[in-house]
Amino acid sequence: MFLFGLKRLLQGVVTVWFIATATFFAMHNVPGDPLLNERAGSEAIKANLESKYGLDQPLSTQYFIYLRNLSRGDFGISFTQENREVNDIIREHFPVSAILGILAIVFAATGGVLFGALTALYRNRLPDYIIMILVILGISVPSFVIAAMSQLMLVGINNMAGSTILPVAGWGTILHMLVPALVLGLGTMAYLTRLMRSSMLEIIGSDYIRTARSKGVPPSRIFAKHQLRNAILPVVTVLGPSIAAITTGGFVVELVFAIPGLGRYFVQAVQQLDYTVIMGTTVFYGAFLVFMVILVDILYGFIDPRVRLEK
Amino acid sequence: MRGAAKSGIGSKLLEVRNLEVEFDTYGGIVKAVRGVDFSVDSGKTLAIVGESGCGKSVTVQSMMGLIPIPPGRITSGSALLRGQEVLGDTIIEGKEIRGAEIGMIFQDPMTSLNPTMTIGNQIAEPLQIHRGYSYRQAFNEAINLLDMSKIPEAAKRAKQYPFEFSGGMLQRAMIAMAISCKPSILIADEPTTALDVTIQAQILDLMRDLQSQTGMAIILITHDLGVVARMADEVAVMYAGKIVEHGTVEDVFYRSAHPYTLGLRAAMPTNDPANQHQLNPIEGSPPDLFSPPPGCGYCARCPWAMSICQKSHPEHYYLNSGHYSRCWLHHNDSEIKPNQLSFN
Repeated sequence: MFLFGLKRLLQGVVTVWFIATATFFAMHNVPGDPLLNERAGSEAIKANLESKYGLDQPLSTQYFIYLRNLSRGDFGISFTQENREVNDIIREHFPVSAILGILAIVFAATGGVLFGALTALYRNRLPDYIIMILVILGISVPSFVIAAMSQLMLVGINNMAGSTILPVAGWGTILHMLVPALVLGLGTMAYLTRLMRSSMLEIIGSDYIRTARSKGVPPSRIFAKHQLRNAILPVVTVLGPSIAAITTGGFVVELVFAIPGLGRYFVQAVQQLDYTVIMGTTVFYGAFLVFMVILVDILYGFIDPRVRLEK
Repeated sequence: MRGAAKSGIGSKLLEVRNLEVEFDTYGGIVKAVRGVDFSVDSGKTLAIVGESGCGKSVTVQSMMGLIPIPPGRITSGSALLRGQEVLGDTIIEGKEIRGAEIGMIFQDPMTSLNPTMTIGNQIAEPLQIHRGYSYRQAFNEAINLLDMSKIPEAAKRAKQYPFEFSGGMLQRAMIAMAISCKPSILIADEPTTALDVTIQAQILDLMRDLQSQTGMAIILITHDLGVVARMADEVAVMYAGKIVEHGTVEDVFYRSAHPYTLGLRAAMPTNDPANQHQLNPIEGSPPDLFSPPPGCGYCARCPWAMSICQKSHPEHYYLNSGHYSRCWLHHNDSEIKPNQLSFN
């Protein structure tokens, strides 16, 4: 198990290196120059930046300077915002995005597993039909539409109550997080519900469930001990990519709900060609996702013994 | 030994009478089991033989409450275990039927065990449920049971998962699980079909050994006549949802009376060097059970079919006290007598 984790971690480092390299060369192929912008700093700042990043040197030298800084965990200084280090931007704003994302994932996973199992157990009966209609809505309506509609609904609720029950936008308390996390997790939850339903249906008809029934295992115990753990495996598999979907989807939701997350800086940096911020946030997000996927892989090993023993 | 003391008519361990099972499907109602009677005694083995789809698995699964209802439906009949009705009930005399009174093993051990649960835990589960054992007690008993099933290093094996076992070992573990609560009946639904031949023999020997130790009855479902000859005391031959011939293993094998049984025997490969002819298959296919024929189900394939065979189903013709055949050829008006029938 330890070896398995170590191996996956090494693979992860290689993956992050690929992401860093691809981002670097992609950035340097974008036309334009952040230092020619009318908002750029003085000649002295320009000269300092050029010498620090070797911007007057050939691309290969710049690449190695970039990698060296990266390996020290230094993402550099913003080109457009004076005296802001990329590390500071990440440190200040990533926790907000992370809390939102984790909340959304927890919501999506628990909801997906629960509703999926429910629809399978009530297959072709009313609860199944109702949940599956909602699932199709959740998958096909984009998150910014749901975000705007939920804000409208919150306004209505607050107006009716005469006071602010749930804030419409902003950040700070758990009440601020609830609705954005729900909206952010909804699409993934719908997807996981469908996955869980089909997986559960397959398990319900399987031979070992028949064996369990022939042993006289009561239905509640069959559900908890035999069905759930086996049915959850495909859900856990897609949890890694789902985290990716949720964190990238988070940009839009953060914008609609005016949440001071990392997404805003990411978009802003791309618009202003802020090399260091773009590369820094991309590599950071990439590394985060790779880490989450590894975590899910290890988790999978705990649930499925067949994976655990493959060295 | 429990239940073994009683004997004689009316005090059988298990008596099934006139069992009928239907399934609703998109194509209509399938009459899978159309009036089946059989009984089995403690310490004895009854083999139910027949081709795929003849209703042999449905018969035993309906007793265990394993057929899905709906679409399945038991339309009539009774199954008495020590005089108590089993159908539609899950508990008799305070004991659960499934797992405690009747144990069951299945065709494919590879898929019949939960892949994410250790073998030991799966064997311990019925003990925890039916006997109220603590987890530790049950797990230790599971190790004993694995040992009884002749699995080497049982203590170590109990902590392993099904994917670490071979097919034969898994079937041994299945047997250990099925007999964990000392059931009075073990139902084995084609227990050796998925295993290779040398393992088959070992599994059958194991079942026989455990039977002589515990005195349980075995209902063996199979389409392998070799397995029947090795294991069974009595044989019931099923065709199209009915039992067409029933008797002791000697009666059915050496004094076969029903044309279907004769057909099955003729279709068996032989190792007699003087008899290296091709196999004689039974031509045709079984009747459509969406609309079962009013007469004998076998008449379309029977080389000796008469006009009466299509019109009404033959009654039981007893050839001796325990041996019956349901065929019009036994009727007094029939010109051919079944003991004259032969394929050669």
